[in-house]
Amino acid sequence: MNHQREPIGERVFGALLRLYPTALRAEHGEEMRQHVRDLAGDPRFAGRPLRLWRHLIGDLIATAVPARFHAAIDALHQLNERTEHPDSGEQMDMLLHDVRYAFRTLRKRPAITLIAVATLALGIGANTAIYSVVNAVLLSPLPFPDPDRLVMVWGKTAGNPQAAMSYPDYLDMQQRNRSFSDFGIVRPISVNFTGTDAPDRLVGEFSSANVFKILGVHAALGRLFTDVESTLGTEQPVVVLSHAAWSGKFGGDRGILGKTLTLNGRPMTVVGVLAPGYEGIYGSVELFLPIVYYNKSGLQRGAGTMFTFARLKPGVTVESARRDIVSIAKQIETENPSTNSGQSAEVVTLRENLVGGSRTALMTLLAAVGVVLLIACFNVANLQLARAAARRTEISVRAALGASRQRIVRQLLTESVLLSIAGGALGLLLTAVMMKFLVANLPANLYLATEVGLNTRVLLFAVLLTLGTGVLFGMAPAMRSSRADLSGALRDRGGRGLGRGGMRDGFVVAQIALSTMLLIAAGLLIRSLVSLQQVKPGFDMKNVLTMEFRLPPTKYNTPEQMTAFMLRATEEIRRVPGVTSAAMARGVPLSGNSGSIGYLAEGKPEPKPGDAPGALANATTTGYFATMRIPLLSGRDFAETDTRETMPVVIVNEMLAHREWPGGSALGHRVRAVGDTVWRTIIGVVGDAKHIAIAELQRGQIYTPYTQDPSLFSTVVARVARDPMSFGPPVRAAIWSVDRDQPVWKIRTIESLAQRSLGQPRFMMMLVAAFAGLALVLAGVGIYGVMSYTVAQRTHEVGIRIALGAHAAEVVRLVLRRGMVLTAGAVILGVVGALAATQLLASQLYGVSQRDPLTFVAVPVVLGAVALLACWLPARRASRVDPVEALRSP
Amino acid sequence: MPRPVPLNDLPPLTPVVMHILLALADEDRHGYAIAQEIERLSEGAVRTGPGTLYGSIQRMVKAGLIEETRRRPPAKDDDERRRYYRLTTAGRRALETESARMADLVAVARAKRVLRGTNAPRPA
Repeated sequence: MNHQREPIGERVFGALLRLYPTALRAEHGEEMRQHVRDLAGDPRFAGRPLRLWRHLIGDLIATAVPARFHAAIDALHQLNERTEHPDSGEQMDMLLHDVRYAFRTLRKRPAITLIAVATLALGIGANTAIYSVVNAVLLSPLPFPDPDRLVMVWGKTAGNPQAAMSYPDYLDMQQRNRSFSDFGIVRPISVNFTGTDAPDRLVGEFSSANVFKILGVHAALGRLFTDVESTLGTEQPVVVLSHAAWSGKFGGDRGILGKTLTLNGRPMTVVGVLAPGYEGIYGSVELFLPIVYYNKSGLQRGAGTMFTFARLKPGVTVESARRDIVSIAKQIETENPSTNSGQSAEVVTLRENLVGGSRTALMTLLAAVGVVLLIACFNVANLQLARAAARRTEISVRAALGASRQRIVRQLLTESVLLSIAGGALGLLLTAVMMKFLVANLPANLYLATEVGLNTRVLLFAVLLTLGTGVLFGMAPAMRSSRADLSGALRDRGGRGLGRGGMRDGFVVAQIALSTMLLIAAGLLIRSLVSLQQVKPGFDMKNVLTMEFRLPPTKYNTPEQMTAFMLRATEEIRRVPGVTSAAMARGVPLSGNSGSIGYLAEGKPEPKPGDAPGALANATTTGYFATMRIPLLSGRDFAETDTRETMPVVIVNEMLAHREWPGGSALGHRVRAVGDTVWRTIIGVVGDAKHIAIAELQRGQIYTPYTQDPSLFSTVVARVARDPMSFGPPVRAAIWSVDRDQPVWKIRTIESLAQRSLGQPRFMMMLVAAFAGLALVLAGVGIYGVMSYTVAQRTHEVGIRIALGAHAAEVVRLVLRRGMVLTAGAVILGVVGALAATQLLASQLYGVSQRDPLTFVAVPVVLGAVALLACWLPARRASRVDPVEALRSP
Repeated sequence: MPRPVPLNDLPPLTPVVMHILLALADEDRHGYAIAQEIERLSEGAVRTGPGTLYGSIQRMVKAGLIEETRRRPPAKDDDERRRYYRLTTAGRRALETESARMADLVAVARAKRVLRGTNAPRPA
């Protein structure tokens, strides 16, 4: 922390101390200041002023009110005992008086009060609901001990800043690093569970024993496995169950300890059950196995499939850990050039890994909903101004009778705060409803550190927001009205008040400008979602059923066995009535299963290590492209005659073919994967297909035939005539007809995967559009209110004009012109603001420019129309003024 | 249920009060040291901010559970801005009574199998 800032911080805290009762301040104020100085020097807070202030303010809020309450009770006691010290008691009385008076005033104008409360409730409710999500994702500490010292270590290549690790690389880093007090590794992957009535797949996690320690996980039953049991050479076939799996699938049987489960075809002994709560860092893991039981080929150097967690030693920063790890990665690269050339490493905090990706989106939402509240505040401030104008006489009388300005401001502020408290209370009800909606629609990939709910922090936020809101919209009107000109106001009862137009106009301009910005943001997000939905994925996702399975390595341990299974199973599936075509692929689009490789094209200059171009790699059986309706542009599909004995072949996509051999044919050229020695001949070129996400930039793709490149894991794709999900059971039965023990899972359609991949953009769009709609309504109400008020104020003038022969149309024009001038100015401001603000949206947009002309034209038009309507209603009323009535009224 | 000292008019102590009493049980401390000791004893779970701490201290001094002490640490460690607190006899008695009450409760909880085996906390 720098030295200039401390005194300011202390001064602010000194001022905040005034929130406490005098007695406490007198007795312990100096100690409290010293306490804050101590905290500022504490290693936990040093250099983290935000964190310190969060701690202090939280404490202040939690304690100041109770302390005041205690002091007030004490004071009342003392008052009763006729002792001195009337100070707090009197203040209490004054407050009670103000509150009672405010209640009466607010009740006198129920309609305005109701509108104000409803407006605030919407604003506060929506803000609290969004905050509850932000809190659960970004602000809550991760549910692990001392979570800020947890990091993940990743491999790093030119094409992939966060690549999974290989086990030997991890072991080297574990031995050589000087940065971590603990360093563990996991490989979450499905595990086949057999030996029971129906073969099942469980979500497993192969892990080193110290991961439990790093993440602070304990056993509720039995024990965890040990370092010895998870180390090569001394490994033991043991397994630990998650609490959920134990109490669910295993029936909560306490006698399970010591029993044997057949997992991936190998007997493993249950030694423990975890305490509830932890199910692997990414959730839903059902059992934990020692890392070394992961299949042998997966433990080789170069097989990057694992995630690592480490705890920084005290005093080690992420930056210095990164330097340490990068230099070790360099040593490993030198020692293992064939597998590790071009590979570096990266250290990232666990928090950043889990929630970093959602930060921008959530902050955008928070900003949007904050703007809605701001607009609501302007609306209520305007209502208050109008009300205060109507009460000028009353205020002047009170001032004349000797009320100080401070006293009057306080009275008016009490009203505002009372309004906002009513709004806040109603808002909390709305929050509960909105939260249900939010939770039901949260994107599936959002990491929640705690549940989204009305917890203490969220409630605290709502309370702060409510009080802050009350002061925010109440301050300006209160200051303004308390400056009442005594004599003038008393003489002219409820006169023109034109001088006050400035502030009101300012509020309306601000509202419309902010609404413009929100509407433009919403417009861009809607356009973005529409263009996402129109993206041509390169395959036909209608009526395609998929399901996944993984062959147990103990049973299928040769390539021939794997290939034989794939071919027979595919054959059986094709025979199911209603299935028009079927195939297998290692990963189908949008399923989350994908692989990428660096590749070299034969005859091209060899790129520097790490600079090889990248491509998505996939393996398929014959008929995959036909089933997915990915067009075969030239050459041929794989055939069952492409075997391990014949020429190695690949199929590439159009983009890769064009990139490597522009203008010519790719057929007959050969490519090789980095780290592989085999050159494979291109026999076909197929159309581009999206794979990881609909919104991705098209990448090069290389397909190998299953018959030459088999694997244990595979996905079935079956095109059917109709209603794909109804084909789940017969297709699964077809697989079981080949191997009754083979579990399958994730039976789903590609269409459902596409829907899921649009989850986050749809969520964003829905919310921002809802907020923008709300903002539009509020701004409409705002401008309507101001124009109505102006018209009412000018009834006298309008009456004279009409009496002197002005036509209704002229009066309407007069009123409209003023409204439209305000609107035009505001919209221009809003558009300029939006041009700046949509920079923040850029990363959320797809297929639409952040300066999309359509949106930037349409929004002002819509706003103009709404403003026109909002002005026209009062204008028409003005044109119908009866001159006699108008002139007779004072 | 037998109780060592009848202190019937004392309501169950709040967790913060209890923590402060515990922090002062073995040593006189100044405010910040109390906060640090509480954090250490609770393994970081309880963090008392200044308002919580001194609000409680004020009430506890008033209730006669703790008092300011004149005895200061050796001059080299001393900071004259600090005020040191210690348990009064009543404070020590309250701490003992409350601890005994809690121990009784835990015994009941164990007997009713609410609290099972060793403690197996969730990842906090």
